[in-house]
Amino acid sequence: MALIVKTPRYAFDLIEALGKTGLLTTEGTLYPLLSRLRRDGLVKTEWRESTDGPPRRYYELTAEGRRALIAFKNEWTSFRGAVDGILQEGK
Amino acid sequence: MTAPHAAQLIDGYLARLNAAASDLPKAARQELVDDVRVHITEARARETEETDAAILNILDRLGEPAAVVADARERLGVRAPQPYRPGVLEVLAVILVPFFWPIGVILLWISPAWHWRDKVIGTLVPPGGYLGVSILALVAASSRSSGCITMTNAAGAVIEDTCQQAGPSWLQVLGAVMLGIVIYVLPLITAGYLAIRLRWGRPRQAALA
Repeated sequence: MALIVKTPRYAFDLIEALGKTGLLTTEGTLYPLLSRLRRDGLVKTEWRESTDGPPRRYYELTAEGRRALIAFKNEWTSFRGAVDGILQEGK
Repeated sequence: MTAPHAAQLIDGYLARLNAAASDLPKAARQELVDDVRVHITEARARETEETDAAILNILDRLGEPAAVVADARERLGVRAPQPYRPGVLEVLAVILVPFFWPIGVILLWISPAWHWRDKVIGTLVPPGGYLGVSILALVAASSRSSGCITMTNAAGAVIEDTCQQAGPSWLQVLGAVMLGIVIYVLPLITAGYLAIRLRWGRPRQAALA
C-alpha cells in the first residue's frame, strides 16, 4: 500500500516495484490482494488509457486507506522494536 | 515477434486458473482471470524478443494457478471445497434403489454425492430394482408358457402338449441359476457400487464463510 501513497500506479508497475524488493514471490497473488483492498474500500481504481497497449487499471489509496497505512506503520514500528529487543538480548 | 506456442501456453494457464477458481464467486473469478490476462499482456509487451521460454517465465513468476486461487480464497474468506459428507439421504437412496426403485432413484438424483455417471448406472442396473426384474421375469415366463400348444380332443382330453418335455437339461439349469443371480444379486451389487462411490464424494460448491 505504501507503494501507491504518492501516486496512483497500475498493477504491473506495482509488481515490478515489489519484485525489486524481493518481497513478492508469486506475482499472481497480488491480484487477489488488490481486489480485497478495493472491496474493503482502502484503494480505489480507475481505468486509464495507456500509450502502449490495453487500458490499465490504476490503484490509488482512499482516505480510509491512508489511515489504515498509518495505523499499520505504527504497529509495524512497535513490532520491529520488540523483535529487535529480543534479538539484542540473544547476543 | 510472437513465440511459437504463446497462445497455447497462455490459454492453458488461464484455463487452469479458471478451473482452479471454479468454487469462487463468479464475479471474483472473472476479475481474477481478467487481471491475470492483462498482466500477461503487459509482461509480453516488455519482452524484447519473445520466446516460448520468455512466456514460460512470465507464467512461472505468476505462480501456480492453485496457489493464486488459494490466496484469493483466503482474501475473500471463501472456504476451501470440502468433500460432501454423505447423510441420511444417501443411505436411504442406497437401500431403496434395489428394494423400492422409484423412490430410491429419485433420492439418488437429488443427492449431490454421486457423479452423473454413477446416477445413470444406479438407475439402469437393473432397471426397476427387484420390482422391475420381477416384472421382467414374470413377462418372460408368461410369454414362454403362451408358446405351448395344447391340443385337446372333443371330449376335452389332452392328446398333445408341446409343453411336455423331458427333464430340464443341465444347460437349462445353468441358465436358470444365472438368471437367479442376475435377478437377486445384481441389485445388491449396484447398491454396493453406489455405496463405494459415495465414500470418495464430490467436493461441494464452497460457500461464503
